[in-house]
Amino acid sequence: MRGYILRRVGQNILTYFFFLTMVYVMIDAQPGDYSNIYLGDPRLTPDQREILRARLGLDKPVTERYVLWLKSFAQGDFGVSFSNYPRQVIDVIIERAPRTLVLFLTATVVAFYMGFLSGKVLAWSRGGFKEYATTIGGVSLYTVFTPWFGLMMIWFFAYTLGWFPIGKFIDPIVWQDSPLSAVVLFQRMLLTGVVSTIALFAWLLVIQRIEPSRRRVAGWAGVVVVLAGILAYWLPSGVAKYAADILWHLILPIATLALISFAGTMLLTRNSMLETLREDYIMAARAKGLTEKSIRDKHAARNAMLPVVTSFVFSLAFALDGGVITETIFSWPGMGLTLLRAAVSEDIPMAIGALVFTGALALTAHLVADILYAFLDPRIRYA
Amino acid sequence: MAETLLRVENLTMHYTTRAGEVSAVDDVSFTLDKGASMGLVGESGCGKTSIAATILKLLPENAEIKGGHVFLDGTDLAPMSESEIRHVRWRRISMVFQAAMNSLNPVYKVGDQIVEALETHLPQLSAQETRKRVEDLFRLVGLDPKLADQYPHEYSGGMRQRAVIAMALACHPDLIIADEPTTALDVIVQDSLLREMTELQKQLGMAMIYISHDIAVIAEVSDRIGVMYAGKLVEFGDTEAIFKHPIHPYTQGLLSAFPSIIGPKRELATLPGEPPDLISPPSGCRFHPRCPYATDVCTEKVPVYEEHRPGHFAACWHPLE
Amino acid sequence: MAQSTRIGGAPRVDRAEVLAIPVWRIRLNLMWRGLRANAALFAENPIGLVGLGIILFFALMALAHPILMSTVWDKGTYDPVLGIDLAIPLHPTAPSATHLLGTDPLGRDILSQLMWSARSEFALGVVAALVTVVIATTVGAISAFYGGLLDTAFMRLADLIIMTPFVTILIVLSALFDVKLIELAFVVGITSGFGGAAIIIKSQALTIKVRTYIEAARVAGGSNSHIILRHIIPNLLPLSFLYMMFTVTTAIFSEAVLSFFGLLNIRMSWGLMIHTTEYTGYLLDLGKWWLIFPASLSITMLCAAFYLVGRALDEIVNPRLRRR
Repeated sequence: MRGYILRRVGQNILTYFFFLTMVYVMIDAQPGDYSNIYLGDPRLTPDQREILRARLGLDKPVTERYVLWLKSFAQGDFGVSFSNYPRQVIDVIIERAPRTLVLFLTATVVAFYMGFLSGKVLAWSRGGFKEYATTIGGVSLYTVFTPWFGLMMIWFFAYTLGWFPIGKFIDPIVWQDSPLSAVVLFQRMLLTGVVSTIALFAWLLVIQRIEPSRRRVAGWAGVVVVLAGILAYWLPSGVAKYAADILWHLILPIATLALISFAGTMLLTRNSMLETLREDYIMAARAKGLTEKSIRDKHAARNAMLPVVTSFVFSLAFALDGGVITETIFSWPGMGLTLLRAAVSEDIPMAIGALVFTGALALTAHLVADILYAFLDPRIRYA
Repeated sequence: MAETLLRVENLTMHYTTRAGEVSAVDDVSFTLDKGASMGLVGESGCGKTSIAATILKLLPENAEIKGGHVFLDGTDLAPMSESEIRHVRWRRISMVFQAAMNSLNPVYKVGDQIVEALETHLPQLSAQETRKRVEDLFRLVGLDPKLADQYPHEYSGGMRQRAVIAMALACHPDLIIADEPTTALDVIVQDSLLREMTELQKQLGMAMIYISHDIAVIAEVSDRIGVMYAGKLVEFGDTEAIFKHPIHPYTQGLLSAFPSIIGPKRELATLPGEPPDLISPPSGCRFHPRCPYATDVCTEKVPVYEEHRPGHFAACWHPLE
Repeated sequence: MAQSTRIGGAPRVDRAEVLAIPVWRIRLNLMWRGLRANAALFAENPIGLVGLGIILFFALMALAHPILMSTVWDKGTYDPVLGIDLAIPLHPTAPSATHLLGTDPLGRDILSQLMWSARSEFALGVVAALVTVVIATTVGAISAFYGGLLDTAFMRLADLIIMTPFVTILIVLSALFDVKLIELAFVVGITSGFGGAAIIIKSQALTIKVRTYIEAARVAGGSNSHIILRHIIPNLLPLSFLYMMFTVTTAIFSEAVLSFFGLLNIRMSWGLMIHTTEYTGYLLDLGKWWLIFPASLSITMLCAAFYLVGRALDEIVNPRLRRR
């Protein structure tokens, strides 16, 4: 298992390197170069322009510039953002990345669970009107024009029903007398989330050793303890209402992103379950006198999950795209929004920085999903 | 007198397909005593696996028991509901499937899968006792108990077969149905496994139904043999009687198709034609298109399944005597 | 070459006559029969039929536009890009007798825009799909057949493509380059072709490669290219056709998103219609539903239609999903 993880990490680093190269090729391939932007001033004579170009290193051969670019990348220097002048690109990334992480991770996990559970239920009731209706419904959610869907969500839940805010990250009025900045507070929230998730995961691993009949109770006990811990930390801290404000703003974007992503998982789970049910070991499980529920949840689901996780890995890219669109519609100030605004305003350094971040996120998510898969399927660990 | 464990009476099972209704098991009757072993032999598609599935009601959605009874120690299994038959499965009757290697779930450890069967049917055992039982079972079938913590894909084919047999024995059932358990293995492993299975069966006093298309294998392990053709049981009797005095022409055909390593060289007899279409089977006796002794009555009337000699049953209008 | 008839039986066909039928004829007949059988299977699944129906609807729309423009509609008023209805002072206007779906903030007729854009959507889809089919089939067949380094390289590339968020890359590309519709079609086609489709087609090609008729062809003296072209690729085409559908969905969706953000150099498309609504400030004014709903609905429906057809085809091509 360890060897598998190490190998995958190594592969990922290689792939990322390849990705960066492709990005550089893209940058370099654009008509004209940075000098057009930096040196667009018409008052510069051609000689002065040449000197400045030399200063910026734009007269060096491609390979040298590539190496220089990689070096500065390794140091975290992406240059200065044109549209956020004079802030450094890297600063903007650090500020906004956590928000995208929260949105993306939460929505993805929720989407996976929704998809898997609904697909499982769907597989059991084959044929008939329900199947067709759900397939068409699922496909509609999958192919719906995302900006429109986001708008509809806003219009219905925020505008008409008034349950959620129309967009953005915080309500400035609420935050007028806040002791902490939104950025710091959000980082703390993210930290809480990460710590609790790791704690829960570790607990899940620990209780594998107990008797199966007690495992369920122990699992839920762990969840309760973690939740209590979260509340115990936040409630007396005095900044709880600000955290709650951010959470309130989070709900609609997460719901939107989860809704457009879950349908693919649902349809695939259904297909996968149907195929798994034809396997010999399902017949054997039935012969063993196990209950239908046990067969479905224990034997079939575990195996049916495998192709679903694989395809889930494919859908991560789709979720990232969806995240960009969702962030834009909801004005959620994350990396997706930043990427889009940078592209629209031709702020190349910022756009590249955002792209590189997105690539890293995609690869890491992919790696985690692969490791999860190895955890679920013992056959792959020796591959 | 040995007690009767299983009595199958006029069992009929059909399943519905797009092309029509398939008469997979038609009016089959036989008995099996406690601790005895019998074999079911026939060509592919003759219904021998279907009978096994019907007894335990492991039928797909489109299959239905159309009639008959399956008496296990006096209780009829045929009309039982799903929740009722679940208690019979594995605890009283267990199965070793064809290509049993795929009956193990690839994502769980082998030992855990046997533990699962034990926990379902023998919940009164403590975790420790269950663990010990698994180890004993492994030793019984000739596997190292340490292998219980490994996954199915880490076993060889023969090992997996033994593990599956161990699993079938787990709850000490009264009857084991073995459906071609050794077909997928090479001959040497097949031979040793067969001998071990017979020994285990005698040792533990279980009854066994051994299903195969290979009559030689069945002869080695069974006291009685049932010959099936096109969903019908055409002959049933003691092994020796079947071999020495077959009654049904199909049985004779099966026996002569098998080469013998002793005696003079002879041309292998083959049965002309193919097994019939079970959606619209031949009228009267289903074997008549291929039978060298067929006459008009064979095409018109279904032969009666009756006792031609003590303990030797057959369904034929022109029995070989 | 007379055809003799047995008394009371089927006409006895002369062997020489049968052999005289050219091979291509026999092949055509077989193909036709196969097509009919598959069409029947396809027709059983209402999902596929719904998808096909929607596609036909939009195709008709695309075809109807030039007819309308040259007959009923006055070019000045109804041109989707430049038209403006000067008779009405304030735009956008609600649907009326002259403008069935109303007008947009720049005074142009919405229905006309909708119909005109359908054409470019189909063009986009067709180009992208063709590119994907050619690339995916070739890559899949070559990878499976030759294996080795070539195979590894292609598969690694496919992995990379699958992992990368497509729309995100497109957004950055549009910032660096001037992207037009035809270029978008090629980008979509190339990435789809080298991506997931290539992997699946390669697996399929692998199963074909080990079939006995390939060995038979080789024994009969077939060269590598002959085997690939005549035996492997025809058996891959159903699967490629299937993936073509998903590529069209991706193409239309990507174009719509890019146009919506104003990043695509195109004169009129459904996404652009919504973009117009956005930059003129009417995006959240849902009272003026005709500005957003028709375009968004069209995008969703056409994407969904191709996806549904793809899914229905999937049930045919993948026999394990077929019901009894």
